[in-house]
Amino acid sequence: MDVKRLIASLSGLALVLAAQPVARAAGNPATGKALYYEYSCYACHGYTGETGARAFVGNKSPVLASEEAFLRFLRGRATLSPAVSSTSMPSYGASSLSDQKAKDIYAYIRTFTSHAPPLEQIEVLTQILKAASKVP
Amino acid sequence: MANANRTRVNRRGFLKGAATATAAAGTAAFTATVPSTAIAEAEGQAGGRAAGAGTAPPPTPAQIDRDAGAVQPPTVAGPAVVRPGSDLMVDVLRNLGIEYVAANPGSSFEGLQESIVNYGNPPNRKPEFITALHEESAVTMAHGYGKATGLPMVALLHGTIGVQHAAMSIYQTYYDRVPAVLIAGREENFIQAHTANDMAGMVRSFTKWDAQPKTLDEALVAIQRAYNEAITPPMGPTLLVLDAPLQKLPAGDRRVPDYRPPTIDGIDSGLAREIASKLLAATNPRIAVGRLRTPAGIAKAVELAEAVGATTSTAATQGPMSFPQRHRLCGAGADTAYDFTLGLEAPAAQVSINGPGLASIVAQRDPNNIGFGGITTSGRGGGRGAAAEGRSITADAEASLDGLLAEVRRQMTPERQRTITARAAKHADANQRLRIEALKKALDVKRAGWDATPISTARVYAELWPLIMNEDWCLSSPSNFSGGHHVDLWDHNKPYSYLGGQGAAGMGYGAPASVGAALAARGRNRIVVNVQTDGDLNYAPGVLWTAVHHKLPMLTVMHNNRAWHQELMFLEYMCGVRGRGTERGHIGTSLRDPFIDYAKMAAAYGMPGEGPVTDPVKLSAALKRGVASVKQGTPYLIDVITQPR
Repeated sequence: MDVKRLIASLSGLALVLAAQPVARAAGNPATGKALYYEYSCYACHGYTGETGARAFVGNKSPVLASEEAFLRFLRGRATLSPAVSSTSMPSYGASSLSDQKAKDIYAYIRTFTSHAPPLEQIEVLTQILKAASKVP
Repeated sequence: MANANRTRVNRRGFLKGAATATAAAGTAAFTATVPSTAIAEAEGQAGGRAAGAGTAPPPTPAQIDRDAGAVQPPTVAGPAVVRPGSDLMVDVLRNLGIEYVAANPGSSFEGLQESIVNYGNPPNRKPEFITALHEESAVTMAHGYGKATGLPMVALLHGTIGVQHAAMSIYQTYYDRVPAVLIAGREENFIQAHTANDMAGMVRSFTKWDAQPKTLDEALVAIQRAYNEAITPPMGPTLLVLDAPLQKLPAGDRRVPDYRPPTIDGIDSGLAREIASKLLAATNPRIAVGRLRTPAGIAKAVELAEAVGATTSTAATQGPMSFPQRHRLCGAGADTAYDFTLGLEAPAAQVSINGPGLASIVAQRDPNNIGFGGITTSGRGGGRGAAAEGRSITADAEASLDGLLAEVRRQMTPERQRTITARAAKHADANQRLRIEALKKALDVKRAGWDATPISTARVYAELWPLIMNEDWCLSSPSNFSGGHHVDLWDHNKPYSYLGGQGAAGMGYGAPASVGAALAARGRNRIVVNVQTDGDLNYAPGVLWTAVHHKLPMLTVMHNNRAWHQELMFLEYMCGVRGRGTERGHIGTSLRDPFIDYAKMAAAYGMPGEGPVTDPVKLSAALKRGVASVKQGTPYLIDVITQPR
């Protein structure tokens, strides 16, 4: 597949998990956890996958729908050559991230889930809403 | 436009006849050196320079009290210069309303420093000497103060080395179009490496104006002009090079020169009539408000919006001096089909009034064509503002408001007034409804990772807001690296609610700018919140000491992600482009092995604080202690270990 077209098709999509059909994850999540930090995935996706502009939890992306799609996404970016600095998802060729490591990371990512309480149970946030509701 | 501005200032007759030789470079022509007789006179009166004084003893408690301005100076017995020129310079600064002069000490301005701390009753008050630990910090303090007030404070720089230490901060202040007055001391006969023929030349390309007066009379007038140039659009830092002997010359019977504020032109009466007519004739007018110059300008913008019943947009969540975010007319309103839009230092579909940008002075200030990015002759440049979509009028928007308001009042009819009142009420209702809808959506997003460790940046801002919402507060630090969560959660209703970015995206800005903002807040029952990124603080942490020493109401909450995180992401991407993996992307971009303990850093500078806070449950209590401390006038630092963004 044309890399540019692939990138274009994926641009704007956050790498996130949501109510996707649960695909098989053959990797080892425990190993994936170590790799998640080693490869600084946390830098953009948060330590728990819940925070930041590219959080995993709470969004939908086809690149995370299956292990195969995830690997294809990582590899597909390999020829991208930026004209300017970018905070986009780096590319990961097989020489820098083996299939097994990528699968382990994917398995770990699939363990992320939201731990956020409902809004009404967070006192500070309800306090903010209440204060704002007062007509100035 | 640049020439017009200079003409307006020159029209006041400043420095008559002195400014022709180097006017093309935007430099007042005080080029001759001080006569040798004057130097000899000054040195003689000062008793000559002490040599071989040896190691100074530690300061006594009495000396420390005096340094802090806590005591009156003793009566001097014996010979002394009764009225040095620098005393008169202090009078000039005082008459201009300068509150603070920041510097770390330098022999080239010792005369002026001595006058600031000793002259006047009480001495060391308006201006007060603020002890900085680095020239870059001193100028960034002025940068932060200027953004919070719209007015200049002064930073002193010691010779060539001080100017170069300050250069980056001067550049940022210039790019941000913030007024500041810088004074560099120049001493020809002491340390040769610290002097230069044209000291200001080192930073001329990114200052608004500079001068090197050759007489005391010229120096006094030049201080006034430096102030006026700084506050005249495009605002910016000005640099005055003061020879040390001028500071030490007897003032004799000289007086403070008469001061005339600058004339800043707005639109003419014809345009005011036309625009007012269109605002009043429109069935649904809108006013886009960008960054004005002063709080007075904002008050007038509010008055105009209310007078014509226009909804407004605001830049208050991006920086200082814009329309109150929660004003009832601020928002999209009940009807988004606007039939006339006016921009005040902001783009607009029909008419926008934009003051001159830095591009208007490039030809004068950058003769060597260094060509700083974004400042072009065709664009406004300088980090804010933009070309209007419709008709753009080059005139200062703030200075245009009096004329616009007068025309609106003149053209108002009872029928129009009834229509406007009804429209404004509908807009107010809609804006409140829109606000709540937007807030609910934002809160739902902000709760993500609420209980996560490290602590989410959204939680930091959310926990802070209830603690300060009923205070007079200023968010002094850039939030672009911290998620910008205040934009959705906080109410930016004051000219200084949020001071915006660094100016030129240079690091080492947050803490010293916050000290400047805290200087503006001190004594005004206002507190300053500095959500401080860790990489940024390490450029100039000495400002924490300055905050403690001067008892500034500054709460620093560390956004400690243990990295220069933006750069980490950049490098990771580059690693990927080259197919070499990201596992070493942290090298040179992160602050680990060891982690830096910022509570201990603060303690070393005498600042109370706590941390590292890693448990989100403990965050609120820590913030409460911090807010309570700064409300008592004691700065406080909380080291919070955060998510990367």
